Amino acid sequence: MAVAVQHPHARPFRLSRPLLYLAAALMAVLAVFPFYWLAMTSIKPGNQVATNPPILIPTQLSLQNYHDVFAVEDLPHFLANSLIISLASTALTVFLGSLAAYALAKRYLPYRLRHSILLWVLITRIYPPITTAIPYFVLLRRIGMSDTHQALIVTYVAYGLPFVIWLMLGFFQDMPTEIEEAAVMDGCSLWQRFSLVVIPLALPGLAVTAIFAFVYSWNEFLYASMLTSFNAKTLPVVISGYMSDKFLRWGEMSALGTLMVLPVIVFAAGAQRYLVRGLTFGAVKE
Amino acid sequence: MARVVEAPTRAGLRWRVWRGGRYQQERLLSALFLLPALLFLLVTSVYPLLYSLVLSFYTWNMSIPNSRPVFLGIGNYTGLVKNPQFLNSIQVTFLFVAVSICIEFVLGMALALLITSRLRLIGLLRTALLVPIMMTPVVAGVLWRSLFHSTYGVVNWAIGLVGLPPQEWLGSASQALGAVIAVEIWQQLPVVIFILAAGISALPVEIFDAARVDGATGWQAFRYVTLPLLKPVIVVALLLRVMDAFKIFDVIFTLTQGGPGGATEVLSMLIYKTGLKFFQIGQATAMSWVFLVFILVISLLFIRQLERQEER
Repeated sequence: MAVAVQHPHARPFRLSRPLLYLAAALMAVLAVFPFYWLAMTSIKPGNQVATNPPILIPTQLSLQNYHDVFAVEDLPHFLANSLIISLASTALTVFLGSLAAYALAKRYLPYRLRHSILLWVLITRIYPPITTAIPYFVLLRRIGMSDTHQALIVTYVAYGLPFVIWLMLGFFQDMPTEIEEAAVMDGCSLWQRFSLVVIPLALPGLAVTAIFAFVYSWNEFLYASMLTSFNAKTLPVVISGYMSDKFLRWGEMSALGTLMVLPVIVFAAGAQRYLVRGLTFGAVKE
Repeated sequence: MARVVEAPTRAGLRWRVWRGGRYQQERLLSALFLLPALLFLLVTSVYPLLYSLVLSFYTWNMSIPNSRPVFLGIGNYTGLVKNPQFLNSIQVTFLFVAVSICIEFVLGMALALLITSRLRLIGLLRTALLVPIMMTPVVAGVLWRSLFHSTYGVVNWAIGLVGLPPQEWLGSASQALGAVIAVEIWQQLPVVIFILAAGISALPVEIFDAARVDGATGWQAFRYVTLPLLKPVIVVALLLRVMDAFKIFDVIFTLTQGGPGGATEVLSMLIYKTGLKFFQIGQATAMSWVFLVFILVISLLFIRQLERQEER
């Protein structure tokens, strides 16, 4: 893996091997501990959840928290909402974004035009979501689209498009042009080249892009809390309901939190190869 | 070199025909490929923003049934200058962004240099660092709220181990912003580490050998070789992190709701409260636009820097 390459002289400090490992171990523990705590709390029986001193390693295991979460909260409905909205918006974003990125990677359109489109697309991703949230809220209420799946899907597609366009552009540009030229010889149209040649070749990149788009929709909270009340309510909104300090429903909160976070971490671990590329909008490659 | 003139092959002929006849057609088609995405962005981002600009010149309390916006002129904007909440919020936002980013980059650089050494189990470390990045921000917020709890929280227990008295953290006006920054750093530091480590790994090794031959010390090699070579990557990382830090909402919403007493009320939080809790649409959109202009100016500076690097 790229990061394992050694650069002995790039460093202003020297650490002995044991210290190096100690620092690395400390870093790993600090990064993972909160998640460990979340997962452990979720399988603790009620009387071990909030204690002083805290119980780091539960002595008794219980699935009561998971049972409670699924029993009371209309959870299957909200879980289905989260899944439907995330999957639909991911599919749509990746499709529309790849099409646009492909058109921008080809040099049919004049350079200046492509350049300004890319810059504009980047800028739409720069402004904070709250700045469009209020007009959005007003507009959607006016056309009666509040609390629908469609409203959230459209929002997430809009948010994900700039990311997908920039990332896929990089993957398309990396592709050797000879393959496509060969397809031209065989008489493939632009659409055929895109769907039969380019997309299958870009599949790993596409998968990673899709994972990032999915994680964004899955995790999004601001628009979900603002645009939904029940019908289209998603899991992050449900979680935020456990905020209260007074009742300390940490057990249920942890169970739901673990359910939300665990699959994402598993997927993301699979996307490690292109992680940095994804995190930087394609600007830095590993 | 002598050129061999070949008889046109079938494929070559097709290529020529395609270049001539179908070029224009494909050009049009590629514009069509672009169209859906661009229309989508126009409708979902440009239109709401322009609508918000219009609303910022009106006064409108949306919580009153059947109320309509009433034209006000620049009143919402002039009001902001005298609005202590808004001024406080600007301060909090900039403090939050500046402190988080500084710590993230100093620590991130040190740790990136550290993990680019030849380590065993690097895959494990990478997976560990992935966890904070991928954690749903709302979950992170609620979770850290429990970790910072003054009676049952793990943080107070941990500082108790080294003999420090328990603290109020999120409940204290002087500590809350620090606690929020700590959570932000926990979640985003790995992003900086990953980006910088990728940049360091891509540096040519030979140049460090040359520096060593020239007798450069470790610090000199870092200062005069690593840092300048890494600059493009650092600028990208800075742009992304600064933009994202300004956007913070979910974590603060779940940790403190902007409290206590506005101590952690970043602009996103204040705009949310003004617009979606008190329904002062005019004021909230005016704040949004001031915020937006700030951010656009800052990011355009970064983008210009990036473009200059690319030209070189």
